Amino acid sequence: MANGSLRLARNRSGAPISLAVCAVLAVILVLLGRVQPTLFDRARAYASDRAAPALETMRLPLRAADAWIGNLADIFNVYRENMQLKEQNARLRQWQNAALALEQRLKRYRLLLNAVPDPELGNVTAHVIGRSNRPFLNTMILDAGRRQQVKPGEAVVDDRGMIGRIFLTGDHTSWVILLTDLNSRIPVSIEPGNVQAILAGDNSVAPLLEISGQGVHLRAGQQIVTSGDGALLPAGLSVGKVFWDGSDFRAGLYADSGHSDDVRVLDLKLPAEKLPSVSAGDLPVTAAGLAPLTPPPPKVTQPALQPSTAASPTDAAKLSAPARPTVAQQTPAAAAKPPAHQPPPAPDETPDDQ
Amino acid sequence: MPGQELYNVPGLRFLAPLLPFTLAIIGTAIANFPISFTGGFLPAPLFGLMPVYFWGLLRPDLMPPWAALLVGLTEDLLSGGAPGIWAVSFVASYIFIDRQRDSLAGLASYGAILGFAAALLVAAGTAFAVVAVYYWRLPPVAPVIVALAVNVVWYIPALWFMNKVQHHFVGPLRSDF
Repeated sequence: MANGSLRLARNRSGAPISLAVCAVLAVILVLLGRVQPTLFDRARAYASDRAAPALETMRLPLRAADAWIGNLADIFNVYRENMQLKEQNARLRQWQNAALALEQRLKRYRLLLNAVPDPELGNVTAHVIGRSNRPFLNTMILDAGRRQQVKPGEAVVDDRGMIGRIFLTGDHTSWVILLTDLNSRIPVSIEPGNVQAILAGDNSVAPLLEISGQGVHLRAGQQIVTSGDGALLPAGLSVGKVFWDGSDFRAGLYADSGHSDDVRVLDLKLPAEKLPSVSAGDLPVTAAGLAPLTPPPPKVTQPALQPSTAASPTDAAKLSAPARPTVAQQTPAAAAKPPAHQPPPAPDETPDDQ
Repeated sequence: MPGQELYNVPGLRFLAPLLPFTLAIIGTAIANFPISFTGGFLPAPLFGLMPVYFWGLLRPDLMPPWAALLVGLTEDLLSGGAPGIWAVSFVASYIFIDRQRDSLAGLASYGAILGFAAALLVAAGTAFAVVAVYYWRLPPVAPVIVALAVNVVWYIPALWFMNKVQHHFVGPLRSDF
């Protein structure tokens, strides 16, 4: 089992040149990937759509084996776990009653305050058919895609909290980028105190909390929920708890992406805002209660009549001939005056009585 | 005929040079099949890098630099990560293999595994550096160390398999005789 037992071949082709060319091509590919990160998305979606039947076939036996192996260890702790579960059940029932009462009170307060209702959330239930755990990437593959109305950017949650977001959809499959992935950055809110932060994944099990505000004091145990900033994710989704790892504040996630098999993809159905049409009442003048100014009457301009400027002799004759006096103008005063060169009166003109 | 190697069979001789690259592509596809038997606890091994190292050392005429680039590109495509990271890492590893061919080929037994570990370290280190520059922050080192360990462990059975393929199907370079 040694490389030295085999005869070593020397590369007789132009190795340095081809090596340099390949190195340059690889660097160009990295730069291209930086500019266009979605370079391979269509091919990946196609590959996951084609592999989906095989993945689904393998999912069930793997899930059964995983459950069987997990149950082996539980056999030795059955009695102790049973007692713990009974105690937890009793405590949770008390919290359930309190939660129901608080929910009713909250509804009454919302009605009293005419609060804006939360946006409607649609959801699609999907099965996890694949997981990819790499040093620089943490993703999952779901068996729901565009045909099931799944869109990129939607939140993925399990029964405990948020797991990640959809970043690539095929026809029948979707890729989920987990909250722990290096590419994941979501806006969150830390309660109590409504501290705004960014949850940034770094391929560790606990993503980093990046807080931009100054003078903010966090405490271990504070709850982290999605803030809903940017209307990308629904607000209020449970994410995890704050803890201090010695150098930074991090989020201990509620969701377990390694064991979640059934997840929900949430569709934040916020309609696109439509700009209202502008009416006359929207003008600042009318909005201030002022009447708009009436426009001034149009000025009537009389064209200057010049004989030398006549186009033809007939025009010149017309221009030089006195205007035919009207009935109203047939007065001694008017007859004594030489008639001025006036254009013939309009039919609707009423002569002035002098 | 029984006992006759593939590279000596006249009608099938043309398949022998295609095997190393084909095995690298198949290994990449298998490693990126998104099924984890450990619930995602352990990372998938880089099955594509193992043939690149093995035949890049022994038969560089069958595993030229462009083959390493293509295998890395396939790894980028199927892994879901940013394009180009594994392509440049595999090429960097190939450059290391090319420069240290005499040293690496002389390694025997556990040394052969250490040689692969060295090439793997070059690939992982390159990927780490590219990712750090790509996202402008240092990724955690622990997942990379775990991935190195997983790959070294998987190289042992993979080496046995590749030796068998080399002896029975690929064969030595004709002009070496």
